[in-house]
Amino acid sequence: MATAMAATAAERAVLEEEFRWLLHDEVHAVLRQLQDILKEASLRFTLSGTEGPAKQENFILGSCGTDQVKGVLTLQGDALSQADVNLKIPRNNQLLHFAFREDKQWKLQQIQDARNHVSQAVYLLTNRDEGYQFRTGAEVLKLMDAVMLQLTRARNRLTTPATLTLPEIAASGLTRMFAPALPSDLLVNVYINLNKLCLTMYQLHPVQPNSSKNFRPAGGAVLHSPGAMFEWGSQRLEVSHVHKVECVIPWLNDALVFFTVSLQLCQQLKDKISVFSSYWSYRAF
Amino acid sequence: MRSSLQAVTLWGIKAPPHSITAIMITDDQQTIVTGSQEGQLCLWNLSPELNISANELLFGHSASITCLARARDFSKQPYVVSAAENGEMCIWNVSNGQCVEKATLPYRHFAICYYHCSFRMTGEGWLLCCGEYQDVLIIDAKTLAVVHTFASSQSPDWIHCMCIVHSVRIQEDSLLVVSVTGELKVWDLSSSINSIQEKQDVYEKESKSLDSLNCQTIRFCPYTERLLLVVFSKCWKVYDYCDFSLLWTEASRSGVFFAGGEVLAAHRIIIWTEDGHSYIYQLLNSGLSKSIYPADGRVLKETIYPHLLCSTSVQENKEPSLPFVMGYMNERKEPFYKILFSGEISGRITLWHIPDVPVSKFDGSPREIPISTTWTLQDNFDKHHTMSQNITDHLSGFKDGSGTVVVTSSVYVPSLDKLICGCEDGRIFITQALNAAKAGLLENGSLLKDSFSQKVLKGHYQSVTSLLYPHGLSSKLDQSWMVSGDWDSCVILWDIFTEKVLHKFCLEAGPVTSLLMSPENFRLRGDQIICCVCSDHSVALLHLEGRSCLLQARKHLFPVRRIKWHPVENFLIVGCADDSVYIWEVETGTLERHETGERARIILNCCDDSQLPKPESVRPVASETHKLKIVEQRSSSSYQLGQIPSVGLQVETSCKVADAKCFSGPFSVLPVKTKWSSIGFHILLFDLENLVELLLPTPICDGDSSNSFYGSEILRRAKSTVEKKTLTLKRNKTACSPLSGETEVRPVIENPVQEDNAIKFTEENDGIKRHKKMKSSKNMHPKSSRKVDTNIMIDTAKLLLSCLLPWGLDKELDNLCIKHLNILKLQGPVSLGFASNEDHFSLKLPGWDLCNDDLKKDYTRVNLFSRKVLDLSNKYTAALPNQGGTSRGLENNCDSLQESNTIVYLLNRLFLVHKLVNMPLELASGTDSSFKMDSVHNKVKNPGNDILNISSFYDYLRNGKNESHVPVADLPFLKLISCWRDQSVQTMEAIQAVLLAEVREHLKTFRKMPVKSPVTSTLEQGNCELMQALPKMEDTEQLELQCVTNKPLQTPVSLVKHDSNSNSANFQDTEDMPDRCVLEESESPGKTRHHSWIVKVCSCRVC
Repeated sequence: MATAMAATAAERAVLEEEFRWLLHDEVHAVLRQLQDILKEASLRFTLSGTEGPAKQENFILGSCGTDQVKGVLTLQGDALSQADVNLKIPRNNQLLHFAFREDKQWKLQQIQDARNHVSQAVYLLTNRDEGYQFRTGAEVLKLMDAVMLQLTRARNRLTTPATLTLPEIAASGLTRMFAPALPSDLLVNVYINLNKLCLTMYQLHPVQPNSSKNFRPAGGAVLHSPGAMFEWGSQRLEVSHVHKVECVIPWLNDALVFFTVSLQLCQQLKDKISVFSSYWSYRAF
Repeated sequence: MRSSLQAVTLWGIKAPPHSITAIMITDDQQTIVTGSQEGQLCLWNLSPELNISANELLFGHSASITCLARARDFSKQPYVVSAAENGEMCIWNVSNGQCVEKATLPYRHFAICYYHCSFRMTGEGWLLCCGEYQDVLIIDAKTLAVVHTFASSQSPDWIHCMCIVHSVRIQEDSLLVVSVTGELKVWDLSSSINSIQEKQDVYEKESKSLDSLNCQTIRFCPYTERLLLVVFSKCWKVYDYCDFSLLWTEASRSGVFFAGGEVLAAHRIIIWTEDGHSYIYQLLNSGLSKSIYPADGRVLKETIYPHLLCSTSVQENKEPSLPFVMGYMNERKEPFYKILFSGEISGRITLWHIPDVPVSKFDGSPREIPISTTWTLQDNFDKHHTMSQNITDHLSGFKDGSGTVVVTSSVYVPSLDKLICGCEDGRIFITQALNAAKAGLLENGSLLKDSFSQKVLKGHYQSVTSLLYPHGLSSKLDQSWMVSGDWDSCVILWDIFTEKVLHKFCLEAGPVTSLLMSPENFRLRGDQIICCVCSDHSVALLHLEGRSCLLQARKHLFPVRRIKWHPVENFLIVGCADDSVYIWEVETGTLERHETGERARIILNCCDDSQLPKPESVRPVASETHKLKIVEQRSSSSYQLGQIPSVGLQVETSCKVADAKCFSGPFSVLPVKTKWSSIGFHILLFDLENLVELLLPTPICDGDSSNSFYGSEILRRAKSTVEKKTLTLKRNKTACSPLSGETEVRPVIENPVQEDNAIKFTEENDGIKRHKKMKSSKNMHPKSSRKVDTNIMIDTAKLLLSCLLPWGLDKELDNLCIKHLNILKLQGPVSLGFASNEDHFSLKLPGWDLCNDDLKKDYTRVNLFSRKVLDLSNKYTAALPNQGGTSRGLENNCDSLQESNTIVYLLNRLFLVHKLVNMPLELASGTDSSFKMDSVHNKVKNPGNDILNISSFYDYLRNGKNESHVPVADLPFLKLISCWRDQSVQTMEAIQAVLLAEVREHLKTFRKMPVKSPVTSTLEQGNCELMQALPKMEDTEQLELQCVTNKPLQTPVSLVKHDSNSNSANFQDTEDMPDRCVLEESESPGKTRHHSWIVKVCSCRVC
């Protein structure tokens, strides 16, 4: 035991030196890298630096299977500024066309939240440049935890679209955005799933009061399947057809990759600090 | 923490970390409230001389605190609201540290503003909140329910800061907010109250982009009613409130970030930065417009520019730790100060007293305002080191040359009353917990040192990071086994009785962060297995019986957050911090699946549904995930509530105090570890109720005053259980409800004789409950454990009394207590703990006793809770007929017999007081469906008549059960206590006052006649004497019973025996018990219990 303790005395000196290096140099190197990645990510959300209105991007939405629904959505930062949706109803070969009203924009809350979380993370890091001296490992851990919390939330916001019930979709402001108003037997929902912008259209028909099917309102879901029922006003409705079209937004893909990379970077830094945990926890540097 | 628990904290010399994230000073300038990253709130006393002293630490949040705010008109109710990272909100009464209301909403707040408009609003007002969601949320300040939102029609976004503008000129309140993108929005407040209450949408009146990002603060100048100060991180701006035209922009120096600001006076502002500096500016007008007040804002526009008057900065010698949270308190009333305050992440509070008229130096250069006070928690600990005892301080060989050895992990084994501590140097100490506590707290405690049965296990060479006592989780395992893991990922299986190493596992991974055991239903080759989580994110499975390591799972990229078991498929499911899931096959050790995102979540939730119990020590974590789950469910239900809180920081966020719930037995030690540090402390828990029950082992009789409340207590519990049950059911509809139902009823179990009757679980984790229940049913060795108990019980009771009694008021009284009650004097004041409900409680900090002004002078007094106690105590003595002392005392010379009787009597009284002070909520609320009795019910409905209620209720219990007598002696007692309750006397004050009065009363007899008999009850003899006394107790008991039947209801302690009644009462008890197996021992309650008591006493005689 005595020899073990003597050996550790020399070891401890080396470890302390190493830890000092970690706190004073390595942490800043990692933070710089992290900041660069996050800046890059927030640029994707056209967040900082760029003054004036965000540029508009057009996305053509389609599905690999049928071409019953086609949509052209225009994304301006976190808002949908224009939308053109064509729906072909095979039954009577009717082609329906809807567009956003000129004066209206639809905020994609998922993008907005993700953007805000990233900017929070960036802000947490802004005043921790080389001039700032970390004094304890715990301080770094706390900072990393705070940053990781924001990044995880940002990522989760994009990866988990809200699960809505059909009445919620019907009540949403999106249905009132269109210029020829949507017919009452159509519902529209727009959301982000991972790196994709998704548009779903639900065709509805009323449930016959005397039908043999027993009425069971559907719960919340990202994508409802045909046969889902709900009550809207005094009417009982059932989804007859579901059309889902989507389009990859390249910069969302980048952002997600950046989130994952920076989360790993944060974790690695935490792990490095933790290696020394038995030293820093009792002594401040 | 159940409310009948009395807690005493042994803090140790190191203060727990408190990284301040939010700070405020209450309106009376007497309390500073801080919120920490660790999730606790701290109340600091602020003296009129601006001295700070930490008073108590409030536990209840499981995540970092994001903001604090006033929650009521402070002069009426001293309430403060706190919000945490994970959506929890609590309202605290800062005068006594009680949690008044709590809620968990799927919102994370940046800031909260209290708004109340007395003449247009009913209720307690609103909390206007902004945070990680669009627009402004309105939350009811009383119920914490969401009332409505202030919606924005133009570019809705997160709001970063806000302020309420009361304009005297236009008699209208407005809400000014700035969004994260720098959009200024204005809502009418007072005129939209009605629309909000009718749930109509209220949109903003104005919206304007301020062209800057990261807005920190917005403030309206109430003196000129004209200027608007907006602080961004890189600049601050002054606007004209009339038309929002920009008057001035001041950019920050490079590397400096503004954090906030406030208006000091007309044209005088203070701005502070993230690194703890502040600057006071005079906003100067040019000479042109000084005399003529410009009607047009544009004229003013060119005329304003700032002149730096003063500055403040933090101590230079200390490296500041970013970021600072600062605030400014502007009080114009006389006794108050203008205070600038800051809190640091390191836990330091700094105050500056800002002069009424700040001026620059004569040469015009800015003057530096000196720091008035600065303080940290550690300062409190250093100053009052007599109070910061540690339970391990008195272990022999514990101190080496450089000071005490740091305890890095500890576990308490209730069945053996052993505390096992792992230390930084690799040693493991095993000690008798009660003795260690006594040695730490009491004077002459060092005398007890010899009686220690202390063991030291040597085998680790690195600090011991984790301990597990498997028998405590599953009775199948050997009682002698203990598992410890160290920093070097070495896990040792010990025999704690022989102190031998049975096996040493070298895992070659990171430090062992936790040791868990698989649930009952997960077995491999018939045995449960140990799961060892290491900080290098690996997980190892150990088979103790086979002395083998089954599996080492090393693929995880992120820290392990959750461990689940799949007994059917033999899978180990590992949930990581990045929400990914790894599924390992236990038999083969192969990675079966790796999933991320939505699917991972489904897998984890799936396991919830299949009722896989989570391992023991993850319980607080588990309950937190549960909360988060609720949040998620709610948030997903609607688009507007779209915040999905990350399931991120689960293990770390829970300061494991929540564990207190699973406490069983009358005495327990709860080791607490704090986040981000290895500093831990211990909490001693005394269950007053349980203690009284154990020491009064006769059947519950309705004639006894204390026990008449017993019935109501059962009902109350039943009710609360029902409530809880519905709550849980509401929460997890999908979960297997019959099981949860079954287990939720458990708290109703009330069996005065049972040792383990306190295995009442209130936590939400069904799995563990089931787990424990199995254990308890198998783990019944009532007789053997009871045998040990009598001594321990009395010792426990004495320790509790020592801790509760105010010492040093009267030398003679102290001595009498020591002589006749055989209790020891405290070394210093103890840090008591108070529970407001299951998971919200407060712990006093060292030095709390000096917080009260009036107590400051007198250092001979130890442990007096407040001066009020003395008054109350005198009142108590005056109000009660002078019968207590004499009737109780069997005036013989057998000190120890009398002593234990007295102790039981005192405890009983305390318990009664405790119940009474805490009861009114149920009675007064009138919602108690359990009380179907009309007579009570009717009276309950008149509020303000509580005294009557109590006594009538009391009457009722008696009459309803054909009891003819009302104990006259107890009525004044009840009245008095209920009266105290109405005057909102704190529980502790009441308890201490009653204890003091009773002790005085009791010892009066001794004071009158000097003690003739030699005082034999000295320390050394205390124990053996007690043993001798025990046989006699049997006699006295019967004797007492006899004499009592002759003259019933004479004393509160008298054990009135009405067999029929007691039987029926007991029958009720058994009916209340859903779980028959717990009953094993007492089939025919009344007699057997008594009998078992005698048996126990007899066995004591043998030893």
